[in-house]
This record gives sequence, structure tokens and C-alpha cells, in this order.
Amino acid sequence: MDNPSPFPYQGPPQLQQPVVDALMRVVDPEVALSIVDVGLVFGVTVGGDTAHVRMTMTTAACPVTDVIVEEVEHELGSVLPAGCAVEVELCWEPPWTPDMMSARARRFMGW
Amino acid sequence: MTPATFVRPLLAAFVAGSLVAGVTGGLLRAGVAWVEPVSAAVFAHAAVAHAALMMSGFLGTVIAIERAVAVRLRWAFAAPFAAGVGGALLLAGRTDAAAWLGVAAALVFVGVNAVLVARQRAAHTALLLVGAAAWLIGNLLFALRQPGAAVIPWWFAFLVLTIAAERLEMTRLMRRHAGAQPALLATLLALLAGAGACAAWPVAGGVVFGVALAALAAWLGVFDIARRTALAHGLSRYMAVCLLGGYAWLGAAGIAWAATAMGYPARDAALHALGLGFIVSMMMGHAPVILPAVARVRLQFGAWFYLPLVLLHASLLLRLGAGFANLELRAAGAALNAAVLVLFALTLVGSAIVWRVRSGRTLPREAT
Repeated sequence: MDNPSPFPYQGPPQLQQPVVDALMRVVDPEVALSIVDVGLVFGVTVGGDTAHVRMTMTTAACPVTDVIVEEVEHELGSVLPAGCAVEVELCWEPPWTPDMMSARARRFMGW
Repeated sequence: MTPATFVRPLLAAFVAGSLVAGVTGGLLRAGVAWVEPVSAAVFAHAAVAHAALMMSGFLGTVIAIERAVAVRLRWAFAAPFAAGVGGALLLAGRTDAAAWLGVAAALVFVGVNAVLVARQRAAHTALLLVGAAAWLIGNLLFALRQPGAAVIPWWFAFLVLTIAAERLEMTRLMRRHAGAQPALLATLLALLAGAGACAAWPVAGGVVFGVALAALAAWLGVFDIARRTALAHGLSRYMAVCLLGGYAWLGAAGIAWAATAMGYPARDAALHALGLGFIVSMMMGHAPVILPAVARVRLQFGAWFYLPLVLLHASLLLRLGAGFANLELRAAGAALNAAVLVLFALTLVGSAIVWRVRSGRTLPREAT
């Protein structure tokens, strides 16, 4: 049985784990956690020649947003089929809360 | 050609110019004799305007760039541009024009932060806005030719509030004690009250300001995520070490600030434990993540980043410890502080080259 994705995923089943692994490699060094563990990824849809990522940031005052988005594009680009474009949509609703963190992240942060 | 094509290099030149001039002015003030004046007037202006160049011209411009990148609005870049031009005018001896440009920069910056508060109503965005207001007050007092004792606490309040707001935002990832946020807000209110009182009541104002700094150091030591991320590895651990070292100097600065207000000769320790020990240590920690965002330069992190960090803290110990009662050692410590900044700049350049060679990637340039 497939591992459940830590975020809603729609698309070819064989790409699910590579997509999760790719996003787990995007780490926010300030908190020493991946964007998946922090709970920044709301969902990924892979269809046709496009991968659509819905994600957020913990704060609207974050100057490294563009860098994180570029890392997402780079890491996903390395696991998706050639010619599959990556679209990243920044969402501010619902706002990020600590409840969105993974169990591993919460353990690391002493919850 | 996008505006970013020329705006970013121009802003980078302003930032570098204010930093070099501010540090040179600092060396002259510290009595470092080997600084040979090329143009006496420029050096004299740099020495007189050391605090304004470092806190408003250099750090003000950097922070305003950072916030403009975050808010993604073109007009927001007017703030760092005005602050940067202000730094250049300070060097030219046009102090009044520079000071009023600083007021304009801070006004725009307050507007930028108001936009962020409207986008995200949270304690940390509100604190960033209060920090911006502190910069505006400091710049206004500077433009109105108030003495440094009245201006400098506001400039430091701007920098300290900015850092505190960013750290408060990070503490959301931890299970936080219910009293943590009220304790921080009370501490920062005391800091602002102290800054405001410094001109009229220097003893009481200075003591309150110093105690608030020390209390903030204690708060950060207890509640910041750095104690946890120090257990990680690589860049995360390095950033945490920078933060924790900075918090120790923040505590020392608080004690020295209060002691200075009470008449003890600890002014150099108060100003530079705070400016170099806390703020520059924080800056060194964040440069590897902020530079890619604001300057489109990616860096390869490596253990070599610890060298300038260790030397920063060691040279500060020499300057503020052994140099406390020995002016020659103090000057030597100040010279080493400056050398550390040069070494850190070289570290950044080397790390950018290593990243480019290893990854074969360059960062896309977006239209800003």
C-alpha cells in the first residue's frame, strides 16, 4: 500500500513519492525543517504538462519567499517528466498555524 | 531592462559605501592610528557620522531592502534608496539634506510596514511597524539636530525591535508559555520608554533602556527556537550559534548601558556589545539566507563561516574586556573588529563562487 502523502496530492500515483521527497528536500534553514514538515505545502496537483503547488509562508514579511519558491521549482523539476512545468501559487488563506506542523516537526520543537 | 537591473547594483553600492565609511569612521574614533586620510574632509565626516552611517545608512538600507523584497511593491524600494542616498550625503558633509532624506526613507518604511500589518494582523508584524516608527523618531530627532544621546537609543530601538519581531514570529513554531508574548511586549515597551526618556532623564532613561535590553536577552535565551535549532546541523546550527552568541552580547550590552547611565565608563561596551556583538552577529547568521533573496546571489555554506564568527566574538572580548582599561588594546580590538568584517565579506564572495562552481546554477532575475 502507498504511503499517505503529508499533503493533498492529485496526479499519477507513481509520481507521488518522488514529489513528496522533492519537497522534503526544500528546507527552511532558519527552523531546520523542510517546508513539508513546517506545514507550508497545502497541496500538489500534477496533470498534463503542469504541476501546480499551493503553498504558504509563516509570515507575509518573509523576504526569502522567492528563494523558497525557486527551490520548490528546482526540486520538483528534477523529479517530474521533462517538459512538465511547475506553477507555485502562494496562498494566505487559511493562515499558517502551528497545528499545520508534522508530528516530526512538533517533536523537534518540543511540543 | 528591468528596474532591478540598475536598482539592485545601485542599492548594493549605497550599502557597501555606508558600511565602509561607517567602519572607517569608527576606526578613527577608536584611535586606530594607521588609517591614513586620503581626503581629510571625507574621513572627518565619516568619523562624525559613524553612528548614522552604520545604523541608518547601512543597516537601515539593508532592512528596508529586505522588507521591500518581502512586500513585493515597487514603491517600497524608495525607502532603501532614500536611506542609501542619505548615507552618501553624510559623507559629503551635507548632514541636513542627509538627515531629512533619512526622515523620508523612514516615512516610506513605516508605510511599507503598515501594508504588511494590513496583510497579516499579528503581533510580529505590529512590532515591525513599531520598529519602523522608532527609526522615524530617531531620524526626526537627528534632522532636528538633537544630541546623539537622544537619537542613538531610537536607532537601536529600531534594530532591536526588528530583530525581536522576527524572533517572535519564529517562536510560533514552539510550544510557547502563555506569558511569553506579554513578557516580550512589556520588555519592548520598557525599551521604548527608556529610549524616549534618555534625552530628558539620562540616568533613569539609560537604566530602563539597559535593563530592557538585558531582559530581552533573557527572553530570547529562554524562548527562542535557536536553542533547538543549535542541535540541528549545517547552516541551521551555524545560524543558531550566531543567534545565541548575539544574545549573550545583548545581555552584556544591557548591563553596560545601565552602568554607563549610572556614571561608569562603559559606553564603548554599551554601544558595541549591542551593535557588533548582537546585531552584526545576527547579520552574519542571516546573510547566507538573506543574500540570495535580496541580492540574487546564492552561497555555499561550509564550516569556514565559523571563522569570522569566532573572530568577531574574540575581537570583541579583546576590545571590551581587556580593552576596558587599556586604550591601546581597545583600539587593537576595534581594528580587529573591522578586519573581521572584511574577512566576512571575503567569505561571502568565496562562498558565492563555490556555489556557482558546484551547482552550475545561477538564480533567475525577477522584475522588481
